[in-house]
Amino acid sequence: MWSLSDITNSIQNALNRAFNPTFATLTEMVIVGICVIGLFAVLGLILVIMERKVSAYMQVRLGPNRVGPKGMLQSLADTLKLLLKEGLTPDGADKFLFNLAPVIAMIAAMLLLAPIAFAKNFQIWDINIGVLFISAVSSISVISILMAGWASNNKYSLLGAMRSGAQIVSYELSAGLSVLSVVILVGSLKLSDIVQSQENGWWIFKGHIPMIISFVIFLVAVTAETNRAPFDLAEAESELTAGFHTEYSGMKFALFFLAEYVNVFIVCGVGATLFLGGWMPLHIGNWHGFNHVMDFIPSSIWFFGKTFFLIFVIMWFRWTFPRLRIDQLLNLEWKYLLPISMFNILLVTLMAIMGWHF
Amino acid sequence: MFLKDYIKDVFGAVKSLLIGMRRTGYYFTHHKEIITQQYPDNRDTLVLPERFRGEVVMPHDEKNEHRCTGCTACELACPNGTIKVITKFDITPEGKKKKAIDKLVYHLELCTMCNLCIEACPSDAIKMAQNFEHSVFDRSQLTKVLNKPGSKIMDGVE
Amino acid sequence: MSLSTIIFYLLATLTLVSGFLAVTTKHIFRAAIYLLFSLLFIAGIYFWMHYEFIAAVQIVVYVGGIVVLIIFSIFLTHQSGQNLPKQKLGRTIFSALAALCGFILILVQVYQHQFVGTIERSVEASISNIGSQMLGVSDNGYALPFEVVSMLLLAAMVGCIVIALRTPKEIKEGGL
Repeated sequence: MWSLSDITNSIQNALNRAFNPTFATLTEMVIVGICVIGLFAVLGLILVIMERKVSAYMQVRLGPNRVGPKGMLQSLADTLKLLLKEGLTPDGADKFLFNLAPVIAMIAAMLLLAPIAFAKNFQIWDINIGVLFISAVSSISVISILMAGWASNNKYSLLGAMRSGAQIVSYELSAGLSVLSVVILVGSLKLSDIVQSQENGWWIFKGHIPMIISFVIFLVAVTAETNRAPFDLAEAESELTAGFHTEYSGMKFALFFLAEYVNVFIVCGVGATLFLGGWMPLHIGNWHGFNHVMDFIPSSIWFFGKTFFLIFVIMWFRWTFPRLRIDQLLNLEWKYLLPISMFNILLVTLMAIMGWHF
Repeated sequence: MFLKDYIKDVFGAVKSLLIGMRRTGYYFTHHKEIITQQYPDNRDTLVLPERFRGEVVMPHDEKNEHRCTGCTACELACPNGTIKVITKFDITPEGKKKKAIDKLVYHLELCTMCNLCIEACPSDAIKMAQNFEHSVFDRSQLTKVLNKPGSKIMDGVE
Repeated sequence: MSLSTIIFYLLATLTLVSGFLAVTTKHIFRAAIYLLFSLLFIAGIYFWMHYEFIAAVQIVVYVGGIVVLIIFSIFLTHQSGQNLPKQKLGRTIFSALAALCGFILILVQVYQHQFVGTIERSVEASISNIGSQMLGVSDNGYALPFEVVSMLLLAAMVGCIVIALRTPKEIKEGGL
């Protein structure tokens, strides 16, 4: 059966035979870097066109339909436009930090791709603290937003940056707690272990109601963490023009834009790995025939299918709900999500100790 | 009781959010509801709403007759001086002088399509047409004379 | 010189340079950012040593927590883009001396310690090991410091609430 892990193994063997280990490692790093950048570009193109089409259909519109078949090349044309635009730096801006901020946003998003298992045995870095690594590195992206907001020397940018800082810091708590409920059941932070533990069923099915609650809390919290509507106070168009990237243009703006979409992809990938079994096919109890059919679908398709399903759900949120006010946003976190997820984690711990899950 | 209210709050919120998502989900799956008009492409089949207001016209019948008496009610009703009625005096077969229009000048570039002139007209001589493709190369082309050359008032319209 | 050594010296130089820039720069916000880089490169050294857990905790605590807090306090107190006033010479000398003393103290500690050389590969500490070590009550456990730290946090939280509380008089007056 065709699989991605065979390809990576054969590449590694070929490199090790041809060069000495140090050079082989370096070459592998370069290959991985190119693959990550390529994935970024493709993801950006796909997610932008997907967002525009989904929003159009939800608002009873057609969306882009001129460039390419059914408008599918629209985002390519937009990228070309952004590439040709002038990257302006405002006069009063702190030039060094202003130019650094989008790069940091991009690097943080790139680092986050490392521990994600895209397919069976296909992972850049199977680090033993995978989940912790993701929550640690995602906190770097806050810095890039704060940096951009400060360096622009613009009141809208500064307000947007402060809002988004407060929002990300507070929603990280409930996102972390809902991730922790899976970690409690698995007993490991390693993403490959977490996927392996779902061989006989995904956690959202195995973990009864508490896992469904923590899945919902995870979705709400990551929507807030990626600064997407209904939690897009950081770039609320009607209040702050564009929030922290008001002053950005051209390719620097494109980097922020791309980092936002890649962050959406990553949090959805993590959600799919933790709750929906990552690349594990759907298995139902003892239906051996059904399970066998499901095994024939390649693992990468399972992973990307689940991830894109979650991305669709988050887009669905965005185009359905109105934006929250800042006090409503903080009330939701501190009065509802955090107490519920703390109580939920007690339930999950009890479940793990008593062995009530399947 | 506090806890009961709290739980009721949470469930109420989730329910109302789900109702909203069901509506957008319905639109997402039902593409027949899409109301977008792809304008230049569907120019031949374009159907505008009946009450769409594109420009003021004066209908003439096949004998080149209109219903305008030249009463200038439309000129007085217009808030921004779009219509100018230039009158003349016709001699009726009985030898009497009768007021009639020479030209009804309509400045399309000034018109806001407010419909007040049509409402003011006592003899229904003018109405709103549906043509909306008004772009021309010269501003002077937007100043139109609504009555056709050689036209005269319809019989029986006073 | 192997690749691994080169990476170590690169990370160490970057840490030192950004630490030096943090104390010499004229912009307070840039100082915070250089401090952030310094902490990030230290996390990089931990990753280089295969202490992934400590590295991730370093990033979570310092980058996600402390630097964000520092940046927020700068946002709330300082005028945007203003240069810091030049410090008095006495203060500069005093701070330099304090830093030097700290450096010497650490150096003495390092040289007094007997490092045992090893050629074995480092083992990845599993999460269950870290957890049982941290909350163990045996000889190598850290249960007591863990609990003491949580008491400290509790005291800090209570302090925050006390500061944020309005006295009954203020509530009557309706002021903030």
